[in-house]
Amino acid sequence: MTGPHEKPLLDVNDLAVEFDTYGGTVKAVRGVSFSVEAGKTLAIVGESGCGKSVTVQALMGLVPMPPGRLTAGTAKLRGHDILRTTQIDGRDFRGSEIGMIFQDPMTSLNPTMTIGRQIAETLEVHLGWSRKQSFARAIELLELARIPEAEQRARQYPFEFSGGMLQRAMIAMAIACEPAILIADEPTTALDVTIQAQLLDLMADMQARNGTAIILITHDLGVVARMADKVAVMYAGQVVEMGSVDDIFYRSAHPYTVGLRAAMPSNDSSARHRLLPIEGSPPDLFAPPSGCAYAARCPHAMRICTEVEPPAFQTGPGHYGRCWLHHEGVAGAAETLRGMQPALRTEPGDAAGPNREEKA
Amino acid sequence: MWRYTLTRLLQGIITIWFIATATFLAMHAVPGNPLAGDKAMTAEIQANLEAKYGLDKPVSQQYLIYMGNLMRGDLGISYTQKNREVNDIIREHFPVSATLGIIAIIFAALGGVLFGALTALYRNKWPDTVIMLMVIVGISVPSFVIAAFAQLALVRINGALGFSLLPVAGWGTVAHMIVPSLVLGLGTMAYLTRLMRSSMLEIVNSDYIRTANAKGLPATRIFTHHQLRNAILPVVTVLGPAIAAITTGGFVVELVFAIPGLGRYFVQAVQQLDYTVIMGTTVFFGAFLVLMVIAVDLLYGWIDPRVRLN
Ligand SMILES: Nc1ncnc2c1ncn2[C@@H]1O[C@H](COP(=O)(O)OP(=O)(O)OP(=O)(O)O)[C@@H](O)[C@H]1O
Ligand code: SF4
Ligand SMILES: [Mg+2]
Repeated sequence: MTGPHEKPLLDVNDLAVEFDTYGGTVKAVRGVSFSVEAGKTLAIVGESGCGKSVTVQALMGLVPMPPGRLTAGTAKLRGHDILRTTQIDGRDFRGSEIGMIFQDPMTSLNPTMTIGRQIAETLEVHLGWSRKQSFARAIELLELARIPEAEQRARQYPFEFSGGMLQRAMIAMAIACEPAILIADEPTTALDVTIQAQLLDLMADMQARNGTAIILITHDLGVVARMADKVAVMYAGQVVEMGSVDDIFYRSAHPYTVGLRAAMPSNDSSARHRLLPIEGSPPDLFAPPSGCAYAARCPHAMRICTEVEPPAFQTGPGHYGRCWLHHEGVAGAAETLRGMQPALRTEPGDAAGPNREEKA
Repeated sequence: MWRYTLTRLLQGIITIWFIATATFLAMHAVPGNPLAGDKAMTAEIQANLEAKYGLDKPVSQQYLIYMGNLMRGDLGISYTQKNREVNDIIREHFPVSATLGIIAIIFAALGGVLFGALTALYRNKWPDTVIMLMVIVGISVPSFVIAAFAQLALVRINGALGFSLLPVAGWGTVAHMIVPSLVLGLGTMAYLTRLMRSSMLEIVNSDYIRTANAKGLPATRIFTHHQLRNAILPVVTVLGPAIAAITTGGFVVELVFAIPGLGRYFVQAVQQLDYTVIMGTTVFFGAFLVLMVIAVDLLYGWIDPRVRLN
């Protein structure tokens, strides 16, 4: 990844995934597009069940099929489509070009294999290294991940590690082959707060060292602010807003993002933020609404919102929002959204308050 | 691992002592005097026995003598066979039972793991359906019925062929061992197959198999290095009871196939109220089972580091 590329490292286009269940077909991911640039971090945020994990698992060929089904989309890693295959030029790109770490380190490692072997086997498989050479490298990687006494630790089993240590080992494992992309699906959710910060630092270090791109899934807007360059906000299987961190935090282009920010506790100690959950629940993914998926909960919903799905409107360079408020025909509505921004930064409690009369 | 092994051995010795004591008490709880049966017993044997065991002495003293003899490895002399030591009986017939049992347990364990893995790999496809149907038969039909049917089938097959493909009964050659050990191991194999299947299916959906996939490991490596070892754990856990089941099942199979094993001897001894043989073989079988269970535990510890290192 030397020099700037005109083309992004990973380009995901219109990805759609469904699950066949007894209750019907769940449309878990509905036309998701995003791109990832070398050395940058893309954060994916959104409520539980909005399709974040399924999106990245689809990229990694980890969606169980059946019941899962890819119904549309492409994902190009340096020009190679990786969506319906796990191979690039006859070699598995997983582990070698894209590494992944998961939410629960306690269950994500094989309980009967030493940590060192679990790291080493990636090197054996992808680089064809010997067992000995791979194990020696595994120890180095554990040291890089700041695990003390790495030499002994490599010979231990997962149950002898703490959760935070295991997640460090997971990171060491995921970056063993120096992949271009590291996917982290809520890597710190299962761990306590002090360890969270250390792990995020570690990931940032690894990124700086290897120029790795990171796709970071999180619930935590604090983590987003700390780590991300770009943010994709997902709602009901779609990316409803995409933009830079500043776009998301200061110029939200979607009422859902505004609601999310209001619902999040803030680090800002100057303002006593009230936690304001978004009223209602996400739509039924068995039969997603024909219009905007957020309409039922949106304080600004208009008639068109329930009838026609909003396209992605560009509201700035690299900033998109799937919301009818940006349509040129909606007079004053864009100002509504923009007008909410400064108030939100200090007093999110007012987020749902003003402009209710705008409801059509 | 040493600590673990030592602890298990100590526990084993206590268990064996318990079995010996329980056997002793049980035999004494049986009404009647062992020497006053309706069997004709020569004065010679009676004198020998009374001298050796002090049967006129109080129970507590008899117990001490009994335990003392046990500790020296002396299981006594048969009541019904003149001057025949229980040790000799065991030495002569146990190897036969052990051979039969070991072949059966190997067959059951390998078959269970193999068929269980197959059913999981071909879940809901025809190999799964066929094997699981056999499993239901294997679990629900008792071994003496299967033994009888197997014998009948052998008679028919040998008859139709005009020569003896496999012997119908008896012991001595490898050919003699095949059918009885298959019959003996079948129920356990069916049970282990079912266990292995569910354990495999559980692990396929586990987080660490997902991780293995995310690392881009080939499917074969995931199967051998990540799935199999973990899936076998529950199977190994029940190997102890499985060995017990096969040991007791062996009594019946030995009778049906006229195999000169210890099991058949034990049954005979019970029928003839041969007290020392009953006590001796019970304690011996008990000790054998305890040792097997310990061996299984050690095997488990070897496979699962969480057991070994805690
Ligand atoms: N194997 C599956 N079978 C059926 N439905 C599934 C399956 N996996 C995911 N889903 C459905 O897909 C939707 C998206 O799930 P996903 O795990 O991507 O959510 P998420 O955004 O990662 O949530 P969380 O923040 O809780 O991890 C959910 O409605 C879920 O019920
Ligand atoms: S499209 Fe309408 S309902 Fe959807 S977020 Fe925008 S204003 Fe709200
Ligand atoms: Mg998730």
